[in-house]
Amino acid sequence: MSRSALKAGEQKKVSCELLSITYGALVAQVMNDYENVDDVNRQLDRLGHDLGVRLIEDFLARANPGRCHDLRDTADKIQQAFKIYLGMNVTIGSWSPAGDEFSIIMDQNPLEEFVELPDSYAGLRYSNLLAGAIRGACEMVQVEVMVAFTADHLRGDNNTELRVKFIKRLEDAIPAGED
Amino acid sequence: MTKLAEDVIFDFLHMEAVKYMYDQCSNEKHSEDDATSKLEHMGYSTGYRLADRLSRESLRFNDELDLLKYVCKVVWSAVYRKEVDNLRTNHQGFYVLHDNAFRFFTSMSRSKQYLEQAPKYLALPCGVVRGALANLGVQCVVTAEVTTLPACKFQVQVQRA
Amino acid sequence: MAVSIAVIGKDNAPLYMWVAPGRDELNLQFLSHTALDIIQEKVSPANRAPTDSRELYLGLLYASEEYKIFGYMTNTKIKLVIITDASNTTLRDNEIRMMFRRLHNAYTSAVCNPFYSPGDPLISKKFEASVGALVSGN
Repeated sequence: MSRSALKAGEQKKVSCELLSITYGALVAQVMNDYENVDDVNRQLDRLGHDLGVRLIEDFLARANPGRCHDLRDTADKIQQAFKIYLGMNVTIGSWSPAGDEFSIIMDQNPLEEFVELPDSYAGLRYSNLLAGAIRGACEMVQVEVMVAFTADHLRGDNNTELRVKFIKRLEDAIPAGED
Repeated sequence: MTKLAEDVIFDFLHMEAVKYMYDQCSNEKHSEDDATSKLEHMGYSTGYRLADRLSRESLRFNDELDLLKYVCKVVWSAVYRKEVDNLRTNHQGFYVLHDNAFRFFTSMSRSKQYLEQAPKYLALPCGVVRGALANLGVQCVVTAEVTTLPACKFQVQVQRA
Repeated sequence: MAVSIAVIGKDNAPLYMWVAPGRDELNLQFLSHTALDIIQEKVSPANRAPTDSRELYLGLLYASEEYKIFGYMTNTKIKLVIITDASNTTLRDNEIRMMFRRLHNAYTSAVCNPFYSPGDPLISKKFEASVGALVSGN
């Protein structure tokens, strides 16, 4: 019951809650700026994209993951990144027969820890930031992917699922980030 | 020192929020003041909610100064990973909080270009302080300024009803 | 077991009320509201005893023939009131304290929902579930 600084374990929990609350305030602001829910989803994806572009540098320096040889490698690295940055254990699965599509399945999502979605916002992809971040990070390592939420705990689904689809390998000659 | 991974995410989220707000004012009929006030509002909402969450474990506060000290210690630690370095007051509702190594500035280089950018990174933090204090029962106006990077100071002027 | 649980806002507007099935809702609402004056008195700096522990849990506020009324105030001036039957002697002070802490926790989680505006009535399935668990003793 003291006023002193927090212990290490508590700090981790607090950091996670701070992230969740701050992201909530950002989503609320974006919803204020755009009336159409599709526009909101697009903006959150864009914010995530730019965050992913920044984050990949940190990830490469921190985790020293080595080169990705195929999409399975990429999937492993995304799984690793979820653990490092959000403390989340995600499952990779539901590969397409061609091996060019997979799902990221989350049991819990710290961004949504406190969130209860009003019925009127059923179209909102609350955590679309994550989809954008994966897209942005992959782009920086010359892999173009499409990422979208296909299930969301917030909307009453049993779990939260992101579908990642490989589009193409970007040529090294094209500077990353420009389309 | 390498930053903890969960801290990196928060720092980047804040940077993207700043960029999002200021990008909007460059391509629409919004002014930079709009961007600042939106960030401040976002901080207010964060500080307000965080104050409820954090103060669960605290005893009741004695007085206003006790509350300010709490913000300097607990709220600051939760958001910025360190305590405020120095708190001064004139004992008439005016407080100055000095942070010698402000979290959002420690990774910035000290060139002039960044010094010009720095105030954009203070709008949300001002809101956090105002929101936390408002929920804990003190209405105030909060301003901040950069002295020398990475140091900055926040000024809290309490509004008496 | 509790017969009613109330969450009352900064400005004394009720934010949430749970009443055990078959109980007199109006009366319990009234009693919860009456408790506010006593809470106010207890936390007022003017009345504070030097021995005051400054704990958020304020203990038994008062007891009538029928009920015992317990209070708690958060640092953000949200008042929590739990009412039990006066005949209920199995609940100890510490258990009431724990109930309040869980209720307080649930309240702060609800406040952190970005779609909730502080000060509005609490309409939340999660909060409802927490209260449900609390009153069923889980």
